[in-house]
Amino acid sequence: MNFSVIDWAIVAFYLAASVSVGLIGKRFVGKISHYLVAGRELGLYLGIATLAATEIGTITFMYNAELGYKYGFAAFAAAMISGLVMIIVGRTGFIISRFRELKLMTVPEYFEIKYSRGLRIVTGVLVALGGILNMGVFLRIEGQFLTIVSGIDTRHIVVVMTVILLLELAYTVLGGMVSVVITDFIQYVLLSVATILVSLYAVYHAGWGNIVAKVSTVMGDAGFDPIANPKFGLIFLVWQILLWFSIHTCWQTTAMRMFSTKGPETSKRVMTWTGFIFLGRGVLPMLWGIAALTLYGTGSLTNGVPAPVVNGQTLAPIDAMPAMLANILGPGIRGIVVAGMLPATMSVNSSYLFGWSAVISQDVIMPLRRVLGKGPLSSRAQIFVNRIANLFVSLFLMFWGLYYTPPGAVYLYLNVTGTIFLAGAFVCVIGGLYWRRSNVAGGYAAMLAGAAGAIIPFFFLHWSENITGFAAFGLAAGGLIVGSLLGRQRVVASEQLVSTD
Amino acid sequence: MNGWLWFWTISLVVAGTSFAFITLVVTIKGASDLQQWFSSLQRQNKNDDELHH
Repeated sequence: MNFSVIDWAIVAFYLAASVSVGLIGKRFVGKISHYLVAGRELGLYLGIATLAATEIGTITFMYNAELGYKYGFAAFAAAMISGLVMIIVGRTGFIISRFRELKLMTVPEYFEIKYSRGLRIVTGVLVALGGILNMGVFLRIEGQFLTIVSGIDTRHIVVVMTVILLLELAYTVLGGMVSVVITDFIQYVLLSVATILVSLYAVYHAGWGNIVAKVSTVMGDAGFDPIANPKFGLIFLVWQILLWFSIHTCWQTTAMRMFSTKGPETSKRVMTWTGFIFLGRGVLPMLWGIAALTLYGTGSLTNGVPAPVVNGQTLAPIDAMPAMLANILGPGIRGIVVAGMLPATMSVNSSYLFGWSAVISQDVIMPLRRVLGKGPLSSRAQIFVNRIANLFVSLFLMFWGLYYTPPGAVYLYLNVTGTIFLAGAFVCVIGGLYWRRSNVAGGYAAMLAGAAGAIIPFFFLHWSENITGFAAFGLAAGGLIVGSLLGRQRVVASEQLVSTD
Repeated sequence: MNGWLWFWTISLVVAGTSFAFITLVVTIKGASDLQQWFSSLQRQNKNDDELHH
């Protein structure tokens, strides 16, 4: 066991405090717009905290550290693209301003306004499918992190996963977005302190000169130049730019934060400043991974990179970073860092759980009820349906997390599962907002071609992630153009373009 | 390689510094945002209650 009594005490105190604070949120939930979009009253700083906390978790640290371990400084390219694209979206208000003006609660809701109810349901299904598959690996990897750092026997990983999930469910189900935002604020502060502490420890222990020398020796130019690195290259960089534009505008959990702000101007400022945080969100954990390579990369070679060997045990590259933390952090500091990482875990999971459940209830179940001729549900009933969807998603996450292992780097698996709906949704939203000719037939063609372009090559043909992602966006764009040119134009009344709570 | 190393070193410093700086600002100013948000939610709930009565 790596944890001392003081480490356990720090973690236990944090968990109790976090869940209690989260439960306070239930007091403020009066109607569905409180539950789903926090009453649309978030200011700049709270908006930054909740957006950053939502997109920075243990899973983020793990997959970025794995990228750093496997590809060295060249991996920084992915992190820089994510941050710079976010700053551009924030400065220009590309898509997000228009979305906020429409007072949406979910991304697929836009599809009913611009296209049709049927396309909203199809989009809702694909968003939920891609989102839940994406989140499906979170619990297992987070469980791995916690067991390695704390020294709990890895056979107890299922128990650790279940405890994490139950704690998140406790406040997410009851207080919805209000609870999520309150806990996000506290969690953002703690996770940032932990991130900065770990970065300082990692560089101090590995040594900057040793880090550069190790990457140079093991990987040569490919460890620094993303275009020369065979795993990346130009296609990867272009795909990443497209992907990050789509994530920052159409990713449900990110979009929900934009919908929750006071107005379009606030949403733009939140996005811009969070873009700077995103630079560190990627680059700092990648640095931890490179430090782990420097300290422990002495095992046999796989694709030219030595496996990590820690205390005589050979590990997978993704486990090198937590093993490093278990060894370099002293008692007390280890507890503070885990108490900083746990909030990161909980803030991401609760937001994602909440985001995908919201899509299932608002964009699949509610519109289906209307198709079947049933009347709208009251706010109270909608909140109840959301809670049931939350429980359903949680059960699936446990199942998928236990039985599925991503074939390559986790970052790339997450990118491809996100692409299942992002390729089509991004293309349809751009078409809907900026191309008058786009129509329902084009929308269906884009969503289905984009999803097929991501699922079939990756899960069945086993193509590389780069080609898969690039193909999915290309097929979705082709689908929208061809479908719209062949299909009939649908006239949308201007009053329909204003959604209400 | 030297050019890339310089580029990544500068990127790392910029990313780390902006991460720490924004965290500090958000921690200090976010607390007052939180208070305003609570009052606004309570006001909305109160208005809704009055409408229902």
